[in-house]
Amino acid sequence: MLDRASTFADPEIVQLLKSRFIAVAIDQAYHRRQQDAEGEFYRKIAGQGPRRDFKKTTQGLYLATASGKLLGFNNNRGGDRIKALMKKALEQFQAPTATPIEAGPVDDRYHAPLPEGGMVVRVQAKILGGYEPTTDYWSKIYQDSLSRDNLWVTAAEQEALVAGRLPPSLQQRLVRFHLIDNTRGEPQMWKAEEITSLDLSLDKGLLSGTVHLETASGNRGYKANLLGHIEHKNGKITRFDLVAHGQFWGECTYTPGAPKGKFPLAISFTLADGSDVADGVPPKGSRGWVRGYLQP
Amino acid sequence: MHITMLCLIASIGWMPLPCHDKTIPFTWQQFESLHRQLQAPADAPWRTIPWKISLLDAQRTAIDQHKPIFIWAMDGHPLGCT
Repeated sequence: MLDRASTFADPEIVQLLKSRFIAVAIDQAYHRRQQDAEGEFYRKIAGQGPRRDFKKTTQGLYLATASGKLLGFNNNRGGDRIKALMKKALEQFQAPTATPIEAGPVDDRYHAPLPEGGMVVRVQAKILGGYEPTTDYWSKIYQDSLSRDNLWVTAAEQEALVAGRLPPSLQQRLVRFHLIDNTRGEPQMWKAEEITSLDLSLDKGLLSGTVHLETASGNRGYKANLLGHIEHKNGKITRFDLVAHGQFWGECTYTPGAPKGKFPLAISFTLADGSDVADGVPPKGSRGWVRGYLQP
Repeated sequence: MHITMLCLIASIGWMPLPCHDKTIPFTWQQFESLHRQLQAPADAPWRTIPWKISLLDAQRTAIDQHKPIFIWAMDGHPLGCT
């Protein structure tokens, strides 16, 4: 979130990445653990930096050669530091003699491929008001942020949608894993018992309804209305436009700084067309337990 | 009258009729507006970078193009999650 709007908004850094580097974005919580060629190559690079205890986070920016030699590391934000790091790496860089690493068997614990015939829906959330005015650069980024995640819809659920039904599994997944405030970081997902009420209907392609999510203590919740269009042609979903709009309250350990009291939160859903590399990122809710995500 | 019907009637007349939570009315007009508003601009600088999401894919491309690799490694996927 912060990096997108700071480091990777710097025109010089963006230009350097486009022209002089091969840029890759990964979830290090997976890569430092996974026992396969992808994980081994990551640990080879990260192990040369200061964060070499793979039981802890190795978060940061790593610059390396294709043979795995570390050219630089930084875990700070801000254009000047990163530009200096990149320029220094380029000065040192000599294309090594390296051969492509064979992927080999993958560690299934950390690979969550889209289920066969599955569909990706982009999910984007934004807080529409309630923050105290700020002039702080970083706080402003959080306040203005638009989050990004993906919703997976299985082949069987698409068939149900085409038939005019809204399958319970999709309803549960949508509200438990995607009606969240992830605009400042990674929040906890909703537990099944935190769905206080859920009333969604699909009628002639129009989706509408209401949802009330709330923790047992009442310290976090979301009451929202949902409206949307789901259309299909020749047995395939061609439109999945949906918006949840309502009042959210509370925050989680890793999403501090929410507006005080209740605040308006809107979450949009849009059928992905594969044009964005982020369409290929597994849903946050699937992290660590894909089956639990698909069969909530 | 069923709440969904109330929403549909409201949308036909473009009237801001409350659907569920009395503090936040939600009409089809607002739905269209919010759905447009909640789309990341394609020209956002970070989205113009040709990110890869596989390190081995990046390694192969780095060999082919004689370039170094830039790894953005976060807790949670940097292109998703938040």
